Amino acid sequence: MRRLINLTVCLSITALFLGGITGVGLVEAKILNFALSGNPDTLDPHKTSGTLTFQTLKSVYDTLAEPDMNGKIIPALADRWEVSDDGLTWTFLLKKGVVFHNGDKLTSADAKATFERIMDKKVASPNAKEFAAINNIETPNDHTVVLKLKEPAAPLLATLASGWGAILSNRLIHAGHDFAAKPVGTGPYRLKEWIRDSRIVLEKNEHYWMKGHPKLDKIVMHIITERAVQIQGLISGQIDISYIIAKDDMPVLQSSKDVKIEKSLSALILVMPMNCSNPILKDIRVRQAITHAIDKQKILNIAYGTGEPIATFMDYGNAYYKDFTYLYPYDPKKARELLTEAGISSDKILEVTLPQNYEPHVRAGEMYQAMLAKVGLNVKLKLVDWSTWISDVYRGAKYDLTVIGHTGKLDPDGTLRGYGMKDRYVKWINPRTVELVNKARKVSGFENRKKLYDEALEIMAKEVPFMYLGSPYRNIALRKNVYDFRMTPKLDTLDFRWTTVK
Amino acid sequence: MKKHKTALFFISISYIFILGVAGVAAPLMAPYNPTLQHLDDRFQPSSRSHLLGTDNFGRDILSRVIYGSGSTLLVGIVAVSIAVFLGLIVGLVAGLAGRYIDNFLMLLMDSLLSFPTILLAIAVVSFLGYGLLQVMLAIGVIFSPVFARLVRAETLVIKTETYVEASRALGSPIIKTVFKHIIPNLLGKVIVQCSIMFALTVVIEASLSYLGLGSQPPEPSWGLMLKDARNYLVQAPWMAIYPGLALALTVFCFNILGDVLSEGLNPKL
Repeated sequence: MRRLINLTVCLSITALFLGGITGVGLVEAKILNFALSGNPDTLDPHKTSGTLTFQTLKSVYDTLAEPDMNGKIIPALADRWEVSDDGLTWTFLLKKGVVFHNGDKLTSADAKATFERIMDKKVASPNAKEFAAINNIETPNDHTVVLKLKEPAAPLLATLASGWGAILSNRLIHAGHDFAAKPVGTGPYRLKEWIRDSRIVLEKNEHYWMKGHPKLDKIVMHIITERAVQIQGLISGQIDISYIIAKDDMPVLQSSKDVKIEKSLSALILVMPMNCSNPILKDIRVRQAITHAIDKQKILNIAYGTGEPIATFMDYGNAYYKDFTYLYPYDPKKARELLTEAGISSDKILEVTLPQNYEPHVRAGEMYQAMLAKVGLNVKLKLVDWSTWISDVYRGAKYDLTVIGHTGKLDPDGTLRGYGMKDRYVKWINPRTVELVNKARKVSGFENRKKLYDEALEIMAKEVPFMYLGSPYRNIALRKNVYDFRMTPKLDTLDFRWTTVK
Repeated sequence: MKKHKTALFFISISYIFILGVAGVAAPLMAPYNPTLQHLDDRFQPSSRSHLLGTDNFGRDILSRVIYGSGSTLLVGIVAVSIAVFLGLIVGLVAGLAGRYIDNFLMLLMDSLLSFPTILLAIAVVSFLGYGLLQVMLAIGVIFSPVFARLVRAETLVIKTETYVEASRALGSPIIKTVFKHIIPNLLGKVIVQCSIMFALTVVIEASLSYLGLGSQPPEPSWGLMLKDARNYLVQAPWMAIYPGLALALTVFCFNILGDVLSEGLNPKL
């Protein structure tokens, strides 16, 4: 009898335990572990141009408009907007019922204070020049913001939709709040903690304006700089998403049952810029020969892990992209002929300056050298650190050839502005291109602008101040139970609003 | 000398000899051009056509190891020569002049020695610019205090020897005394030190190349080969194994050589 009682007690305890455990399982918070490849330099969206900052803040702040997954700009904090016929008055109608993480209601005063903060010389925002067209900001009522411009500026909408257009609270701006460490926005998640070199923790904003979103309760961004460590974390399940996967990691990841890989085209424009003020490269025939000598697909496959070849200065997936790959296809024989015609012999040496911290660019550089040697060009490699590359190559234009990728921009003006003038590092002079790009900035309507950009891109394709390589694919590796993680096109920011863990 | 040590000594000498021959006669020995890329033959394991396999650009690893031995030995010889040259001058001056000059020079040398070697090498190379020549200079300068201290200590002893005093008393100029009596007497210790420093040089050159400060791609250097290989450790381990083995053996053999030489040249009474 006693035995029976014991048994019953044991069973009921076990049952209690089991019930307890399943009970916990039902209310378990949905947490996502994300691998971030480095620390943001600051969390103040107006004081940096660092990608990691905007990648983090996409979840904390909102902008008036935002790009959708096709790169089209759609309403966000603003329900809709109107642009006057002369292009000088932009009226934004804000969403009602949006609140900041601290409980403040979003009003037009917040938008006004935000843009004034960006344009304030004391804030010294690196993106202030993108707002330069704004003359003054009016707020006729709580939900209407009117931007009065000095001149028509089509790219302004893209600026307002980018991370640096994040809307801050008017009250906190005037209270001198420390935005660099404690961001307060209207976004889907609020910052819980940021421990440098360790993690950034984001918590769900229950009052987010997009009904039913976000889906996750908590996001832990682990700061892991080593790619190999991220990959081990993914395989073992400590990490749910890693977005810096190289082609060489594929075999290991593909052999894991728990990991899936999503491939998408990035907005990077990979190029080998050619210094047009160099006595050898000044000759367009040499630049054409270099373009003919390069097997673009092979370099994309081996150095950058696949991509789509391009032949002008616009990323492959861009709506403004135009195909010119037929102009100078891979043709070593043609390259050799052009070099002979230009009178270039092997005693002329060209130097390729490579940023040594970017291994894919260095690998591409080695391949460029081998391909150029095959057509009789004597090319030497020179590796420099990143700060030297910025000061000598990008700012100083002290180089012959180099290898780099230009990040995508929401508006083509951001990509093309300044090219054709002598202050850009390729030292390529073409007044017609400058004129076209300037004109396109002041014209509205996609078709009207595209006509102008088409011509500019054609000139750049024909004159080859760059050897245009292509746009690479980006590989994101996720645990199999993670769904709907998005990376914003062009801006490459992280969008967790739809993400779920099952 | 013990028997197994003799055997090791001959193995070391032969290995270094082969390395030297490979370095000098690389164009004749290597089956392929070490920088030529065969993009259709990437990541080939050992086979009859590529004895040690190929790397991420389809370059023949055997050929790169053979060519790499040349640059390794060159860096070793030049850097150690620079170190010996500087060390001899500083050590002799300090040892002979004594007093303030001695104190000053030794303070300088000691402060150089107080830096971690690799850190100092990185600093010097960053200042001079990347490349093999700069690496040789940097290592030469960094290792000179080792020789300077050795030479000074020996000079202090030798200059009190009676034969030196006799030579001075007979009126022979100081330069002649130095070349005739002092240098020949401290050469033995310097040579032993050379062989040990040579091994260290090989490691530092490889480390600097690995960090991207030494040999520049596409030059075939062991350090650079290891740097490339670390991205493909799972996929193509042979990319790391062979240059790593060559490097380890070289350091080992030079250490054995130094060991044996020190026993031979510094007989204990």
